[in-house]
Amino acid sequence: MNRYTFGIAALLMLTALSPALMAKEELVTLPKRDKVQLTIYNSVDLTLVRETRSLTFKKGNNRLQFSWAGTLIDPTSVEFKAVTGADKLDVLDTSYPAESNQMLIWTIAAEADLSANVEISYFTSGISWAAEYHGMLAADDSSMTLTAYVTVMNNSGEEYEDAQVRLVIGSINLVETIAGLAGGQRTARMEEAYGEMRKAGRAADSSRKEIVKEGLSEYYIYTVGGTETIPNGWAKRLQSFEQAGVPVRSVYTWDPAKYGAQLARILTFKNDEAHKLGKEPLPSGIVRFYRNAGAGRLGYVGAISTNYIAKNDEIKVNAGADPEVTMKVTRTQLKKENLSFAFNGRQQYLQGWDTYETFKLELRNFRDRAVDFEINLVFGGDFDFESELASNKVDFRTQRFALKLDKSGKQEVVYKVRTRFGTNAKK
Amino acid sequence: MNKRLMLSLAFAAGIGSMIGFFNPVPAQARIKLATLPDREAVVVRFDNPNVVMVEEERTISLQKGVNNVDFSWAGTQIDKGSIVFRPADAAAKVEILSTSYPPGEAALTWQISAAEAMSVKFRLSYLMANIQRETDYRMLVSKDEQTCSFKHYFKIRNWSGGRFATADFVTRDGKKFEKGLENGEAKRVLVNTWDKVKLTKEYVYDITRNGEGKVMTDYVLKNAKEIGLGAIPLEYGKVRIYQDDGNGTTAFTGEDWGRFTPIGDDMRLNIGIAQDIKIEMKKMVNDVQNRRGNVYDTDEVDEYEIKNFKDTDAVVTLVLRVDGEWEMKADTSGHESFERIDNETIKFKVKAPAKGTPVKLKFHYQKKNVW
Amino acid sequence: MRLTLAILALLVAVPLAAKEELVTLPGRDSVQLTIYNSEDLTLVRERRTLSFKQGSNRLQFSWANTLIDPTSVELQPVGDTAKAAIEIADTSYPAESHEMLIWTVSCKTAGAHVVEISYFTSGISWQAEYTGVVNANEDSMTLTAYVTVTNRSGEEYENAQVRLVVGTINLVEKIVNLATPRPQSQPRPSREDQRGARDMDRMAEKGGPGMGGGGGMVKPKEIIKGGLSEYYIYTVEGQETIPDQWSKRLRSFEVAGVPLKTVYRLEPAKFGPAFTKVLEFKNDEEHKLGKEPLPDGLIRLYKDQGMGRLGYMGALASKYIPKKDEVKINVGPDAECTLAIKRLSIKKKDLGFRNNWLIGWTTVEQFELEVKNFRGRAVEVEIHRTMAGDFDFESPDKFELHDAATRKVAFRLDANSARKLSYTVTTRLGENARK
Repeated sequence: MNRYTFGIAALLMLTALSPALMAKEELVTLPKRDKVQLTIYNSVDLTLVRETRSLTFKKGNNRLQFSWAGTLIDPTSVEFKAVTGADKLDVLDTSYPAESNQMLIWTIAAEADLSANVEISYFTSGISWAAEYHGMLAADDSSMTLTAYVTVMNNSGEEYEDAQVRLVIGSINLVETIAGLAGGQRTARMEEAYGEMRKAGRAADSSRKEIVKEGLSEYYIYTVGGTETIPNGWAKRLQSFEQAGVPVRSVYTWDPAKYGAQLARILTFKNDEAHKLGKEPLPSGIVRFYRNAGAGRLGYVGAISTNYIAKNDEIKVNAGADPEVTMKVTRTQLKKENLSFAFNGRQQYLQGWDTYETFKLELRNFRDRAVDFEINLVFGGDFDFESELASNKVDFRTQRFALKLDKSGKQEVVYKVRTRFGTNAKK
Repeated sequence: MNKRLMLSLAFAAGIGSMIGFFNPVPAQARIKLATLPDREAVVVRFDNPNVVMVEEERTISLQKGVNNVDFSWAGTQIDKGSIVFRPADAAAKVEILSTSYPPGEAALTWQISAAEAMSVKFRLSYLMANIQRETDYRMLVSKDEQTCSFKHYFKIRNWSGGRFATADFVTRDGKKFEKGLENGEAKRVLVNTWDKVKLTKEYVYDITRNGEGKVMTDYVLKNAKEIGLGAIPLEYGKVRIYQDDGNGTTAFTGEDWGRFTPIGDDMRLNIGIAQDIKIEMKKMVNDVQNRRGNVYDTDEVDEYEIKNFKDTDAVVTLVLRVDGEWEMKADTSGHESFERIDNETIKFKVKAPAKGTPVKLKFHYQKKNVW
Repeated sequence: MRLTLAILALLVAVPLAAKEELVTLPGRDSVQLTIYNSEDLTLVRERRTLSFKQGSNRLQFSWANTLIDPTSVELQPVGDTAKAAIEIADTSYPAESHEMLIWTVSCKTAGAHVVEISYFTSGISWQAEYTGVVNANEDSMTLTAYVTVTNRSGEEYENAQVRLVVGTINLVEKIVNLATPRPQSQPRPSREDQRGARDMDRMAEKGGPGMGGGGGMVKPKEIIKGGLSEYYIYTVEGQETIPDQWSKRLRSFEVAGVPLKTVYRLEPAKFGPAFTKVLEFKNDEEHKLGKEPLPDGLIRLYKDQGMGRLGYMGALASKYIPKKDEVKINVGPDAECTLAIKRLSIKKKDLGFRNNWLIGWTTVEQFELEVKNFRGRAVEVEIHRTMAGDFDFESPDKFELHDAATRKVAFRLDANSARKLSYTVTTRLGENARK
């Protein structure tokens, strides 16, 4: 699987410089990395790789060569840090030789002969992760079992063995893409590997591991317990959490701007304690809903790709139209009044008028349980709104009815709209 | 041209430039040929933001009387009009009589007169093309986001066609480091580290910065002594921001271009989107008033609902814009403070309580004399 | 050398188309170049000593592959004896060659006589250049002026006296066009210029010392400056040899301690829309200059970084600077001294209607200017604001009238400080406008 010189295989050489400048170079090839940590971002194609190795330095100037031909490493991101012996080691400069643009050399001054743990970190592209959710609805849609997964996809060209995996949730600002800085186009082999990954992805094993969630600045970091080995081209899905008994509310909603010209069934729940959630934000991902169809069989309800859901925030999932809950609107009256005219010297012409319209809204519930409605009505121009049922003003042109119908219930709502046109309009 | 004796060609020293002697006029044949002087004390200056100036010293053995000294720079791009040539010691008893430029060659000849035979150190300055420079920064923010360590790197790349065996590279702020630099090579050097620099974090809603109305997280660093900076003007460059994750390691939390920041000014860096703060705008009133012919006023109320889902309270800055002639109405409410930046721009600070409790900014204004 | 002068010895006297013997003559005794920089024009005057026989002499002058204007070539005797002895009978331009002419000279007394041949050529030019080394405080500089002579004429002039004319002369035809051979002769240019140039020569000759430097130190050649009519003539001391296609730079003068003023200016009419740093001095005695006008050329500024080390500030192509005139060098915006302009408010008033349609109104706009000096020293600032239409300008900040549409204010700003200025512009628009 290890097709590319990268990471473990990345050529790391230590050259001792004797006091005389440019003396014979002693080349020391270094041992494998001791530890590797991957911090994978999902808002941008970026992974921070941090590897630790133990190196021996000679007193004086040491030249440490690091090369990464054939990988997607951003050369501007490669950093050297001494973890132990830092007070005796000093990076004098980083040189990018002319002959290779996938290699650099650190000149490191050591105060004495010493052995030190050093950390080399860099950005790479090609590794990503995504969240996914399964919502298993109870037969009456009143609650669900929510399972969250994270899937890590390795398309970097390198197998990372026994890596600590951290996932960052959040939209960090990146002013240049890492793939661009790496100067690497994805090679055909990588594309091929990506295809294999897609085939293999779903079949990959899923072991149950604890995922520790911590907040950092505006982001969250998920740390996967233990270490993971993710071969190149593979995807691996891990369960993030599972929560049973999450209360869910269904609201039949009329809101053409959001859900189109249909009465949509919107499943609503909150990422909070009242809903047995709220321990962490939910990263963006696909939520698939299934319904328990009895006898252990599942029915597919729908899927939605959600944005990031903060703690205490609400999530709404459009489960589509339901033929058993309907709405119908009819205009029962139209008349024009308050006509005003102007004289242009030869003839009179109409310059302002009002219209009076009456509408009837019929709601029916054929289901065997009570349902909630939210009806949003949007108007244009300079209008007055009047109805027998109390409404809320959502914004300057939107009125909202909220009501409940018992099982097999029906209700008619009548509302009137007066609209001023031409010179009659204030707006 | 065939009279010119290009003694110096054998010594392709330094950055491809050479100094030699030749003897163009038979009448002045008393000049002895001398060996090519080596370059000494090369300084590469980046103090001009647009061009790179190279200054070198050469010690030249002069004969009494008139000497012809040849300088050529084949293979490199030197702006020949920019060449300044003078003795390092202004009191040296030499005079540069003239400079001659042969056709079609990257070369020139100085005619130097000396009062007596002597060795004189000359300084030669010129602008050289294809030496690139780049500044970048690394910021390591503390876990509590109160302070940071700020590292300033300088990177130079040499495409000039020549090599610098060793040279002093001088940054705009006068920092000097001595390095060798091959042709085609780049080198990055840490030039400054400032620790315990105080930083300010701001949440900014500004539709001109994020069209989706998302809240941006900014770090603001004042380039001033009181916060631990203020030593030099900060050059334009990429700032990569890392944060201490509290587990002994760090996490990368974003990057931004830092603009040129003079001493006393602010550097504002966007690290990313504050996903836990949501703002939704609704226009609640939009009425036409006071119609006069084709001219009218409008009465408008914009309501911003702010939800902070974080575990701690936050102050959010909303930068709002209204064009034309307008004034804010007294019943605008929900903010801690406001500032009218200019005619078109107003900035509100709103305190958003933790855990998603919504707070509303009601922005009531009247646009006047619209047509 | 492509120019040749030959004496044609007539072998057979009487028949018209006789055989001629060509005698090529030795080189020039002296040559003087008067080079103009406003036009591609150089007046060449060369002297030669020729042996004349009594009676009619034929002199052939040819200039193949040069850029000489054939209409300008003249021959004159030099000195009283020569003037008394010889006379140019005619000048003929043979049909077979466009780059040759033959003078018929009648001579009363046989012997050696000095003649001067003069002509215009193109392809030789000169250009002024300046180097200013500014001190650390930016309040003084050392100004060095150079002249660079470039010879692309096709002819090498050895040991020539070089004179440079500063000023714009009128030429009705380009010399380079006249030099190009053509079957039919074009209207001739006026000889005024040539005569004028000759007068200038005489004036300038007064100050022309010979070649310096017998023993010891050779000083840079002095360049003697003299005025003539609307022009200035720079005469380079001694002689110069400038081979074809070469150029040569000579120092014109060097003055240390020229007082310099730095002014940060917002003056769009002169320096563009940016708030920019301008270095200023005057070509006058107070600034240790003013002895001569400064011909147009590139001014390169360097900054003294201490210990005689130089940093590069910038370059500017300067126009001809007369004596006493001021020089303003825009070195570009400075990130450490900035200006921001804000419109704080706009209000409309005095709305006038006709037939329910707006026909006139007045805007009242408040502006704020903020100048920030991040530098560790005080700076001078000058700001110009230009308005349009029928406006009133009010400010508590002592703006002055610059012209009908422009107000200006100048002040000094201390180190690391900022200053805000405000002004209000009331503009009458539509039918409210009185202008």
